[in-house]
Amino acid sequence: MKVLTPQGEAQEYMTLNMGPSHPATHGALRIFAALDGENIKAAVGEMGYLHRGFEKMVEQGTFNQVLPYTDRLNYCSAMMNNIGFCKAVEKMFDVELPERCIRLRVIVSELSRIIDHLVCVGANLVDLGALTNFWYFFNPREEVYKIWGKLSGARLTNTFTRIGGLYRDAYVGFEDDVRLVLKKIEAAIADVRGLIEHNKIFVERTKDVCVVSGEEALAWGWTGPCLRASGVDHDMRIHEPYYGYEEYDFDSVIGQKGDTFDRIMVRIYEMIESISITRQAVDKLKPGPINCDDARVRLPEKSHVYHDMEALINQFKLIYEGVRPPLGECYDASEAANGELGFYIVSDGGTNPYKIKVRPPCFTQFAAFPSMIEEHQVADAFATLGSLNVIAGELDR
Amino acid sequence: MAEDNMADDEQDEQDVQAEPSADDVLAGVLIEKFALSVDVRNKWNLCLFAQADNAFHVLQYLRDQQGFNVLLDITVIDYLTFPGHRDARFAVVYLLKNIQTCQRIAIKVLLEEDDAAIDSLGDMWLNADWSEREAYDQYGIVFKGHHNLKRLLNHHEFVGHPLRKDYPAQKRQKMSANDLMLDQLHARLQDLNYTVVENVESVENIEGAES
Repeated sequence: MKVLTPQGEAQEYMTLNMGPSHPATHGALRIFAALDGENIKAAVGEMGYLHRGFEKMVEQGTFNQVLPYTDRLNYCSAMMNNIGFCKAVEKMFDVELPERCIRLRVIVSELSRIIDHLVCVGANLVDLGALTNFWYFFNPREEVYKIWGKLSGARLTNTFTRIGGLYRDAYVGFEDDVRLVLKKIEAAIADVRGLIEHNKIFVERTKDVCVVSGEEALAWGWTGPCLRASGVDHDMRIHEPYYGYEEYDFDSVIGQKGDTFDRIMVRIYEMIESISITRQAVDKLKPGPINCDDARVRLPEKSHVYHDMEALINQFKLIYEGVRPPLGECYDASEAANGELGFYIVSDGGTNPYKIKVRPPCFTQFAAFPSMIEEHQVADAFATLGSLNVIAGELDR
Repeated sequence: MAEDNMADDEQDEQDVQAEPSADDVLAGVLIEKFALSVDVRNKWNLCLFAQADNAFHVLQYLRDQQGFNVLLDITVIDYLTFPGHRDARFAVVYLLKNIQTCQRIAIKVLLEEDDAAIDSLGDMWLNADWSEREAYDQYGIVFKGHHNLKRLLNHHEFVGHPLRKDYPAQKRQKMSANDLMLDQLHARLQDLNYTVVENVESVENIEGAES
């Protein structure tokens, strides 16, 4: 393609498709760029290759039937999506969750955040040619998946929560398993930090690459670790606490500059904070009920169902019809691994959602990506894409 | 039990009267300044109705004067089958957040089916570009002045708007060719003050090579 540059020089640029099926895009994303040698001069992005019509499908079923779909949004931390959705519906019902349920939700949230960051950072480092770190991170990640298997019966798509509670209680020995895996994750993080933090190749590949200032990040609507890497101190867990996050002692991790180095490092240090939160939550975990006793949302005890008529009818209504949130519209969000995961729910008072809109955190990050990589090299573009942690499942829905 | 709840509610209302919440103050300001009205259906968040012709100014005011610096999302609601709904068919919802105070607000604009168009936010927020494309793709709302109002999630050959209530969930469509995106790349180069000299020829070359 022949172009005249802004300075009036005639140049021959090559056009190049990167993705949708490319190992370094970690999902079906497409970038179409005009290249001058290795330098990206202009780029446009395309998404939708993993669009499954989440928002149309959820209108066809009941509220609890939405839960398995939410697993498939950000499949690297499936349970956080379950929790985010349940939290929004519970806000409409105004139910109060028992303490143990909230503690367990915090524990699985923080462990999910850790494994999400492990995948993001591990895969990002592979893109930079540092394969060893990937193995260091994926070993403890596998241990977490073993806990998920014991806890919910599924590894990747867990569907662990229910509206008003959890699918089931933690198994005997859950606390010990979690404490043990936290130690392994700590060791892995120390190993990886030792390998990369002062590694000349890594630092020079990532420092000052694709810098996004705090103002730009806000103008793009960024949330979560990427926003904090740009130096904006905002974490829903600290500034809009829910599930008693204010009780836990932890810090928000802020980057200095908003380059790829900061985005990776913020995730690594956030894992250390999440380990601390998980430890505190496990220490505070006490026996008790895991479901609220609100008959509008939770199934009655089986012993009641077999012996009294009201409980039997209640069970029937909830199974055959489903829960009915009050008529109205509600937006509720939680701090997921990638940022603010929001659900805009419209209920017409019936058993099926009238509309659910997901606000996927990585949508705004990928929207910014094509313009971020302009005037950078192709190799920098992929180092940056990994640091944004764009998950096609939640991006395309 | 029911009486207790009512007593609690009354207590809450009295507290609110004693010291109005930040949401009430903001709602008061907006109602006075732009004659907005409160959306009673949204019981859980602050949500106000704006008109299609003043929504742009309301959002600009919120961003510049009230510190709502983050546009979280733009979505649309199709009220076609909503029980008891008498108003316009579509509602465009803008979700904003003030990152300093953590205050949130939703601005809602009702649009009739035969005039489902609203001004684009342009570069007020950078992510509005793609959010508006998604709203156009899924609901067919036209954002006037948008520089590239193309489908975002669905294939470029797709016909119809899938999240409209009258679009059958089981309907299938067959898609064939990829979107080359060469026009988008040229537009992007022109935005960056480049001049594309060789334009048409290269498009034909690529199309010929693919087929």
